[in-house]
Amino acid sequence: MIEVKALQKRFKLTKEHQQKGKSKDVREHDGYFHSVKNVSFSCAQGEVLGLLGPSGAGKTTTLRMLSTALKPDSGQITINGQDIIKKPLIGRRSIGFLSGSTGLYGRLSARENVEYFAKLHGLKGRELKSRCDALFEKLDMTEFLDKRAEHLSTGMKQKTNIARAVVHQPDVVVLDEPTTGLDIMTTQTVINFIRELKSNGTPVIFSTHHLDEVALLCDRICVIDKGVSCFDDSVAQFKAQGKSDELNQAFMNLLQGAAHV
Amino acid sequence: MFEVFKKELLELVRDRKTLFFVLALPMLIFPVIMGLVAFLGSQAALKAEQKVHTYYIVNEQNSEQFAERVFYHKSFKKYDGKHQFLSIEDLKQAVQSGAIDVGIYLEADPTQTIEQGEQASWQVVFNDAQSINFIYDRLKSIANELSDSLREQALVALGVDKSKQAAMLQPILVSKVDTADKRENIGEKLGAFIPYLLIPLVLMGASYPAIDLGAGEKERGTLETLLLTPVTRTQLVLGKFLTVLLSSLACATVTVLSMAIWVSVAISFVELDTIKSAFSSVTGVDFMLIFALLVPIAAIFSSLVLAISIYARTFKEAQNYMAPLSMGVFLPIVISLMPNMVLNAKTALIPVTNVALAIKEIVKGTVDYGLLSMIVLTSIGLAALLLAFCVRWFSKETVLFR
Repeated sequence: MIEVKALQKRFKLTKEHQQKGKSKDVREHDGYFHSVKNVSFSCAQGEVLGLLGPSGAGKTTTLRMLSTALKPDSGQITINGQDIIKKPLIGRRSIGFLSGSTGLYGRLSARENVEYFAKLHGLKGRELKSRCDALFEKLDMTEFLDKRAEHLSTGMKQKTNIARAVVHQPDVVVLDEPTTGLDIMTTQTVINFIRELKSNGTPVIFSTHHLDEVALLCDRICVIDKGVSCFDDSVAQFKAQGKSDELNQAFMNLLQGAAHV
Repeated sequence: MFEVFKKELLELVRDRKTLFFVLALPMLIFPVIMGLVAFLGSQAALKAEQKVHTYYIVNEQNSEQFAERVFYHKSFKKYDGKHQFLSIEDLKQAVQSGAIDVGIYLEADPTQTIEQGEQASWQVVFNDAQSINFIYDRLKSIANELSDSLREQALVALGVDKSKQAAMLQPILVSKVDTADKRENIGEKLGAFIPYLLIPLVLMGASYPAIDLGAGEKERGTLETLLLTPVTRTQLVLGKFLTVLLSSLACATVTVLSMAIWVSVAISFVELDTIKSAFSSVTGVDFMLIFALLVPIAAIFSSLVLAISIYARTFKEAQNYMAPLSMGVFLPIVISLMPNMVLNAKTALIPVTNVALAIKEIVKGTVDYGLLSMIVLTSIGLAALLLAFCVRWFSKETVLFR
């Protein structure tokens, strides 16, 4: 169970930027860019939450705060009742993070990449070995385990990335546009992986621009627009409030509705 | 921390490009370059010395003796062309056109001028910019011999006995007794050169892997995941720092070893007794001392380049920052080469310069251990400060997600 309440994050603007782009963006004022102004959502055991929103709405910033890479200015993130802003180390142990742009260490083999992160998460000896081997088996990676990551295909890389993200058995998995720029086969690998997590009862939060994936996987939807979460409820409610059975249309209607209010 | 260090090292070892620059380049390229320069240089000098030069003497009748000696000298050949040169201007043109290599203008007959109490002034016309200035030396020594015998005769004629001439010509003979032994003398020159080679290499050995460890992590998109592990930022930075430090020390060690080997090889071929005896008095302890001084300086450089690399967004940006840095590192070394710079309590506080000065003192064999420990302490202090700065930067969102 992960709960996010009233997250806020602003970035200092550079001087040149302040002078040039005056009042262009409603989120720019007082010398700061208010990337995330008020975002709240929650995701329970076995649920998949889709994070939607136009480019630049603050999705990645939100997810980076979840991953503790960025520290929110205010707000609350709790995983199973633990405040991870106050205790980032606990947060890092309980979150698995993967984004479309995540890379691997090219000169290490797929196995070494995964094992490195397992070791950084404190796994050792037999436990490490059995955990990794089980993952390699499950993700069908055995064929290319000892190849250097720089020689792997995109699909193989993404499988390695998935293994690396969940090797420490996280309580929550956060995915930032995990399928962007991937081919059909690799996308399917990611989708299967999310399904597997769901059946294991692990909450998954993922941001995406592909609404067909949302339709396929998500139980809940959170829409972020201009740094504010303007919708957070079930898929059925999303369609009802967006006044359309088509997710695309519902999304557009919701955004316009939010703009009018 | 140890896991980070182990993994970074594994990656470094698998990177051929970096390995080449850190290990192979100082091992092979430097001796090759040095050998090539020495070979070509000696060849050119040898050729110029062995060459027979064409000469022309104006007013030969003023000193038949001189003309004769030059004629029979094995390095000179008389101009056998048709032209006649009469003035210094003529000779200049002839040298410039290549008709002759050297022209000698005998303005007066010394046997006559000496009787009038005057000097005979002769001119040697040649191109001093070419590596043939020994022509001048040879002609001068011939003229000096003539001059000596003329003086001797003149003095005898004045009634000064041959045996008393030396005392008359130079009543006081000053000679120097040098308290600096051979080692100190050569150490002053060689000792200034060694840091000039070593310190930039320490920097080079640090900067190549550092770029990969900081900016490379950002560019490949592995940074975010790394930050997500329950390893503290301090541990991450320390792991990376140790890798960079090791690489920079490896680069320096390999260089020193390869230099030692190649110098001994060179000595066995060419007789360089002075250098040999100077190096033979540099003991193993001295080498350890030099190495011990390189450790804190490598630590300073490692944390500095790591900080730069953490700040940079991409490989390219990091490389752009490294270039001026490698120029900048020469400045404190040049300062240490300035003639009035000696190692004292003040200069021991200037980073890099102090180590360059201390290495010189060690090679000279005149090192003050109190100052040495001061250098080590201040350098370690500075390195720790820079490292703390690295950790700070590595925890700052504005630096990591620029």
